[in-house]
Amino acid sequence: MSDKKPGLNKLYALSSENKVFCFPRPLKHSIKIGKRVYDVRLKTDDKFGTYILWKNRKYPVEIVRSRQNKYEILFNDISYTFTVETPFSLKRLKVLGSGRGKAEKELVKAPMPGKIIDVLVREGASVLRGEPVIILEAMKMQNEIQSPVNGRVTAVNTRPNTNVMKDDPLLEIKIE
Amino acid sequence: MNIKSTDMKIKRILIANRGEIAVRIIKTAARMKISTIVIKTAVEPNAMYVSMADIVYDNTEDTSDIPVFLNIDKLIEIAGKTNADAVHPGYGFLAENAYFAQKCIDNNIIFIGPSPDAIYKMGNKTIARRIALASGIPMAVGSEGNIGNEDEAMAVAGKIGYPIIIKAASGGGGRGMRIVRNPQEMERMFIIASKEAETAFNDPSVFIEKYIENPKHIEFQILGDTAGNIIHLGERDCSIQRKHQKLLEEAPSVALDEELRKTMGNMAVRIAAAVNYYSAGTVEFLLDSDKNFYFMEMNTRIQVEHPVTEIVTGIDLIEQQILVANGDKLKIRQNDVNLKGWAIECRINAEDVQSGFAPVPGRIENLSLPSAPYIRVDTGVQAGSSVVANYDSMIAKLIISGRDRKDAIRNCKMALDKVWIKGTKTTLPFFRMLVRNQKFLNGDFTTAFIEKDLDKYFLSSEYEEMLAAWLATKLFIEENFLEDSIPVDFEHTSEMSPWLLNKRINQF
Repeated sequence: MSDKKPGLNKLYALSSENKVFCFPRPLKHSIKIGKRVYDVRLKTDDKFGTYILWKNRKYPVEIVRSRQNKYEILFNDISYTFTVETPFSLKRLKVLGSGRGKAEKELVKAPMPGKIIDVLVREGASVLRGEPVIILEAMKMQNEIQSPVNGRVTAVNTRPNTNVMKDDPLLEIKIE
Repeated sequence: MNIKSTDMKIKRILIANRGEIAVRIIKTAARMKISTIVIKTAVEPNAMYVSMADIVYDNTEDTSDIPVFLNIDKLIEIAGKTNADAVHPGYGFLAENAYFAQKCIDNNIIFIGPSPDAIYKMGNKTIARRIALASGIPMAVGSEGNIGNEDEAMAVAGKIGYPIIIKAASGGGGRGMRIVRNPQEMERMFIIASKEAETAFNDPSVFIEKYIENPKHIEFQILGDTAGNIIHLGERDCSIQRKHQKLLEEAPSVALDEELRKTMGNMAVRIAAAVNYYSAGTVEFLLDSDKNFYFMEMNTRIQVEHPVTEIVTGIDLIEQQILVANGDKLKIRQNDVNLKGWAIECRINAEDVQSGFAPVPGRIENLSLPSAPYIRVDTGVQAGSSVVANYDSMIAKLIISGRDRKDAIRNCKMALDKVWIKGTKTTLPFFRMLVRNQKFLNGDFTTAFIEKDLDKYFLSSEYEEMLAAWLATKLFIEENFLEDSIPVDFEHTSEMSPWLLNKRINQF
């Protein structure tokens, strides 16, 4: 990718909540807030590893994951996920996005590693948002996993006494 | 306090625990010139507590599924092999196991804690309820004894009136508890509570109490000796909790004035006296909005949050436990106890506040904990340590003091920004948000605070998100546009504000 066409002098970082942040390319090590310009410095030292220096404060940063144009950043102990788009890819995304309907199926995943104690619903059962569907034991606690949506259970991918990893699919719910 | 080590029967303590509490016990023992023995396990052979003790018993060959800290016979055997005069159980594991305490005594090992009888009576919540009732301690109405099945639970709840709370008879630490608001929920909640009680305490029995809505959790620290002297060291406010798991504790509490402190403290002493209590213990109460208080339970051990009491009273509770176990009488009288200043403890756990406080076991790559006169850090981890799924997810307790509550919170805010932990997500963003929350600052919070009064569980400003976006963009450029690293064209791109453009794009 060595595109020097005009229009490639900007990049957009889209958050998982569809907030858009726009930055110039080449990227500057300063950001304008209101009328003032503040320096942003990415630094590394032996004690803390990598951090961002902003308004005289150090914020620890870590790259949790990066895949293609998707980045998960841990900033001051909070994780943020962004996809970085060029003006062209952003435009394409908007075209695609406008034609895309809402997701029809919701996958219920294990929020943490643990053991399935009970599956409270069967295939075909209709569930309401917030209704407990699975009991997962982790760290000696029984955790209720609730349905994220109103819908009908279309698949049950687990059963009691199964050990699961974080993000293992447990149920599939068709949104109704 | 002056301690002559020659007076001490206790010269060598086996610590039947791990983590920060093992480290905590080692520190006081060392100051008292008592040597300590710890157990090195296969799960965490390089743990901090192992490197700090005088004697290390190597148990890494033991690959049993049950942690050695729960294996009574093995612990007695280790105490014998290492010539320990005493065992300190810490908290959790066997700390409130009457059988273990008795076994120690039977083998001529001093158990640093209360009598097996007191542990048993207070450990069984239905017996404890009966004792409290007989001693005239205010209590929420509840079932006479344990509840056998869902149908009985329905009947009792119908009589008491909803909402009710199901509690594990052998419970503690918030496990095996479920609130039931209507009969439809009863069957499910009863089964969950009972199952949780069984896994956590090897005892599925549960009982029912009227649920007190929006109470404060106020607990009193008790100290007693074997001569029958019992005093209280004031209260701790542990209302900041999530699903009955305490996150932040403070001493004293904004909810108590001197008079109420005296009344509740006397009640706490009275219930301790009813079981001839000695050593350190905690009497937990719920305090409702009309300042009515109800006995909840007594914990017959040192508690995680004991440091806040140590700060405001200046008394080392571990030292007192050891002295009492040695047979010494308390040198402190109730009138000597003066609460000075304010203390706050933040439990920094390896939990993901962005996914409902889910524990995130993992390796702590690096950490930097601040130090200042107003900061005390109790921890059992260091860089390279792992938070293992076998145990709790605690990384450190950040204990902050101040002249008063306002001062302590201000200090807390500063300290929180100086804690750096790499390798795992932690509860830090929760506390950073909490110390800026107006209701918390006003002292206006109950045990329902986290679930009801917060719409967000963590601190994250739009600036922080913007800076994270900047970093993501920087990484993308480094990976995709090599030529950008050549410093050309800088003046060509004018300064721009990410948000100004953000607005324009949204208006497309």
